[in-house]
Formats: sequence, structure tokens, C-alpha cells
Amino acid sequence: MKTDLSPRMKVALYGLMCVLLIPFVFPTWWMLTSSVKPISDIFAFPPDLWPRRFDFSTYARVFELQPFARQYWNSAYIAALVTGGTMIISSMAGYAFARIKFPFSNAIFMVVLLGLLIPSEVTIVPLFQMFLKWGMINTHWPLILVPIFGAPSVFATFVMRQFFIALPVELEEAARVDGLGRFKIFWLIALPLAKPALGAVAIFTFLHSWNLYLEPIVFLSSTQMFTLPQALTQFTDAYGGAMWNIQLAAATMTAIPVLLVFIVAQKQFVEGLAHTGLKG
Amino acid sequence: MAPVTLKSITKSYGTTPVLHGIDIDIADGEFVVLVGPSGCGKSTLLRMIAGLETVTGGDISIGARVVNDLEPKDRDIAMVFQNYALYPHMTVATNMGFSLEHRGAGKAEIAERVNWAADILGLRPLLDRYPRQLSGGQRQRVAMGRAIVRNPQVFLFDEPLSNLDAKLRVVMRGEIKGLHQRLGVTTVYVTHDQVEAMTMADKIVVMNGGRVEQVGAPLDLYDRPANLFVAGFIGSPAMNAIAGRITADGFMAGDVTLPLPPGVSRADNAVYGIRPEHLSLAAAGVPAIVKLVEPMGSETQVTLTLGEHTVIGVFRERLKSQPGETVHLQPDLTAIHLFDATTGGRLN
Repeated sequence: MKTDLSPRMKVALYGLMCVLLIPFVFPTWWMLTSSVKPISDIFAFPPDLWPRRFDFSTYARVFELQPFARQYWNSAYIAALVTGGTMIISSMAGYAFARIKFPFSNAIFMVVLLGLLIPSEVTIVPLFQMFLKWGMINTHWPLILVPIFGAPSVFATFVMRQFFIALPVELEEAARVDGLGRFKIFWLIALPLAKPALGAVAIFTFLHSWNLYLEPIVFLSSTQMFTLPQALTQFTDAYGGAMWNIQLAAATMTAIPVLLVFIVAQKQFVEGLAHTGLKG
Repeated sequence: MAPVTLKSITKSYGTTPVLHGIDIDIADGEFVVLVGPSGCGKSTLLRMIAGLETVTGGDISIGARVVNDLEPKDRDIAMVFQNYALYPHMTVATNMGFSLEHRGAGKAEIAERVNWAADILGLRPLLDRYPRQLSGGQRQRVAMGRAIVRNPQVFLFDEPLSNLDAKLRVVMRGEIKGLHQRLGVTTVYVTHDQVEAMTMADKIVVMNGGRVEQVGAPLDLYDRPANLFVAGFIGSPAMNAIAGRITADGFMAGDVTLPLPPGVSRADNAVYGIRPEHLSLAAAGVPAIVKLVEPMGSETQVTLTLGEHTVIGVFRERLKSQPGETVHLQPDLTAIHLFDATTGGRLN
């Protein structure tokens, strides 16, 4: 959009934007700089925005104090499986709710949506008992299965349904005339066109799984099985005090994939939500 | 190519009937246009032929087969949709070859057929483009290419020109007709535009309220409309319709007396129909007051007040009449249509 702001207005506007940016950028800046400070410098007053001394050994210590590489892998593969699984389930469910006529489809969809209203804290104990019965405690199965068949998938199904509803019916009718059955219409026509929505679902789901905290602390007990958010809380000294610089170094490494995902796919994320009518 | 027969076709949505027993015979290679106002059921009927809507009652046959329960893919039809329905994520070539690919055709055959269709429609330079990179007319051509590439028995067109501007519509109209003349495939074409129907069809089916009002060749419908609805729908500007009585002295419409051809039976409740081009100006005749003059270049369209009625006349002459001026109209007695005002049926 072209605007005709005067230079003075432009300066004022950019100034305001810079001020508004501070609360969003400052925590990240503090995390990055503190991760390379000796712990005594973190609490210096007045605080240093730029480290007086650089101590990169904090990054090496992250891997010495915990099996951090293993935990990194745990988070990565769990998030990948959850993302893939949710994309499959939500796209199929969303398509079914949007396109296939079956009795009480709207009512069933409403019931599914109602699941979003139940906080995960409410269901965590019954889920624990269920997975205990199935012998899956201290395995990664709960962290994979709960999101794929739980709230994140419900939200993703909603996003996909909204997208498929907006897809012109004529495309499917043309495909029917061209000789395609229901599944091929979904697979060859609807799904490739749903890339923006799938992209949004993928980002949302990946981030949700990557940041999952409550479920890991309930279902996992050995450090080898920990995921990153859970691992971050374990960087403590003999007295239980947080080793802030090491913890922030670990947090920086934990945040990198998230930042990369956002930088690479932010356009797709916005487009996807715009297509589904969820953007304000 | 195959004939299409519709026998006592009915369609209901729940308890609401939308088609009330349609009977149409479409000969092999014929170009039939289903025309009517919005909501008359013409698109529903076309979609039933395509297999995109279920048939509530009656039989649809393509060739010798009753196809009521067959999937669209098994009917050997191809359809062109109003909004083209091209797959946005596929190139023109892939769009055109898509149906062949899913019917097990080999790559060489697909390429051959796609190139053949592209040559006919002038699409060769566009084969690698995506639909979003094409103009409306080009998209329309690709949609037709996708239809012809498979060499189906029947083409179905659902208002294919309604998204195009007026000029392009005329061009594409000619292209579709030319394509039909070249390929000779049985075609069912839906439109609400009576000009499209008149210019393209071998046979027109005029529909209204889920019923067929009249079936016939375009000029037969124009010259002898079976009822008031067809008379009003076919022809632009529409036929003038003046309510009144048929008497021995002529057609009495309020204070105005209109001349009638000889041998017309008397009727108290009738409608006098005369097409605008069948009125001429004369030194003596029915007096009318000029209301509006619209010079069209090739002709002049004049809106006139005839007693308490408004009529339109189209004259070849370039008239200099001014609004308020009185002129005298002479109806062509061989082109007068008389209808029953109650039933709308033709009287003469």
C-alpha cells in the first residue's frame, strides 16, 4: 500500500515502532547476551546491554551437564512426527467436515471443537493413568499421540476445514468429470491447493510440540528421554540454584529452530491464516 | 458422439420440486441450448446429465445407455464450467491431459491429444503456463481444450461465457460454434442469454419454473413462440405485449384499436404481440407518442406510448423524431402474435 506521509510523520512513525519493538526484542537480546556472560555479570547493576566479558564456554557446558544433543534429537523427532501426523489427520478430517455430506456432520464438528475448551491440565491425570496402563510412561509415545489426536489437531482440523470450505466446488466437480474418485480428488486436487493452510498448520503444530512442557514433566522421568523445555529447567547447581548463563545458552540453542521456522515460513504462515479467514 | 434422451425427468430437493417432468430428445451431433431465466432449472438439468446431481425421477440416456446411476467419469461426457474450474496448480498442458492421464492413456498419446487440441484452440504457446497467468478468454479456451482432448460423446457447457466481457463473449461464441461445426460432437449448452441461444443453437429449449416451455429451432421459436413467456424471452428488445380484446373491428386495447389479420376468432381476454422490428412508421396508422429515441447506428430504437401502453419500435431509418411528437405506427399483419391472456397460450 502506498502512503503519502510527510518526512516528519515518517520519522515519528518509525520512532514509535522502534519504541514498541523494545518489549518484544529485549528478552531475546537479554537471552543472547546473557548466554555469553559469566554468571556474576548477569546480575550486575546497572545491567550491561553488551557483555563486558565474553564466555563462550557456557555453550560447551550445556552438553557436559546434560545429554543435551540427545534431548535436542528427542524434541526434533517428536516435533517432526507430531507435525507430520497432525497434517495428515487434520487435512483428512478438515476435508471430510468441509466436503463430505454425512449425518450430523456439523454437530459432530461442534463436539470436536468443544474439545478445545478443555484445558490440558484437566485431562493430564486421566491421560497419565491411561498411558500407565498401556506401559508408555517414560516413553515418547504420549508426547506424540496426545497432540496428534488432541487439541492441536482439533485446531488444525478447524483451519483445514475453513480452507477446504472456501475451495470452489467446481474444481472437484471438474475432477469428478475427469475421472477421479473421492480420495484422488482430495490427494491430487484439494491437498496441493491447501499448501498455505498446511504450512500454517505445520508451523503451529511444530512450535506447539517444540514448546510442550506440561506433558513431558508428567510422562518422562529420565534425562535421556527429556525434551528441551524440560531439560532447560535442569541446569542447576548443587544447591538447586539456576545456572543462568548456561540455562540461557541452552535456551538460545532451543530457540534457534523456532526462529528459523518463523523467518523461513512467516509469509506462508500469514497467508495460510488469511486463506482460512482466521486473520483479523 | 451420441444422442441424449431425457425422459420424464424430475428433480426435488427434499420436498421442493425443481424440475417437473422434462422430456427432451437431442439428436446425435446436435447443438442444443437450454435457456431460461435464473432459477428455471436449466443448470440443474445439465448437472443431472453430467452426473453431478442425482435424478429424482425419469431416465437420462446417452447413446443406448441409461446413465442415471453412473458416475460422471463413466458417462463419457466433458463439461466446461462457468468459472472454468481449471486446476490452479497445474500447467495448461497438465490441465488438458489430466483426464487422459487418469484413464490410463500413455504419455505419447496424452501429448498427441493435448497438442491436437492446443492447435485447434491456438493454445500451443500457452501450454507451459499456469491458469493464473492467462486472460479470461485464454482460460476459457483451456477449459474447452480440456473438454475436447478426450473426444467425449457429449459436451456440456454451463454458462461458459458469462464471466467474459461483452466483446470477448461474441468472439468466444463464434469459437464454440466453430468448434462444434468442426468436431460435430453432441452439445448441451446452458445460458440465460437469449442472444447466445439464438446464434449458437441447432435447437433451443426454453425453460421456466422447472418446465419446458417450448423446444424448437431458433427461428421457429422467434417466429412462432408457443406462449407469452417464450415470446417475451426470445428476442431483444422483447416482443411488445398489449392486453385487450379481439373484436371484429380489430384488437381493442383501451382507446387504441390495432389492426388484425383476417380470420382471427374473437376473444375477450387476449394479448397482442408484435416484435419491435415489425412495426413501421407510416403516414396513416395507429397514433403513438414518441417517449425516447435511441439511435444505435444501424437502426433506431424508439420507445412509444400507445394509449396506456408502452411499446418499443426498431426502425432501419435514422429518425429525427423528438420526444412528445406523434407518429403513426403500421404493424406488419403477417407478424402478429395473439395469445390467451389467462393461459399465455398462442391463439393464432
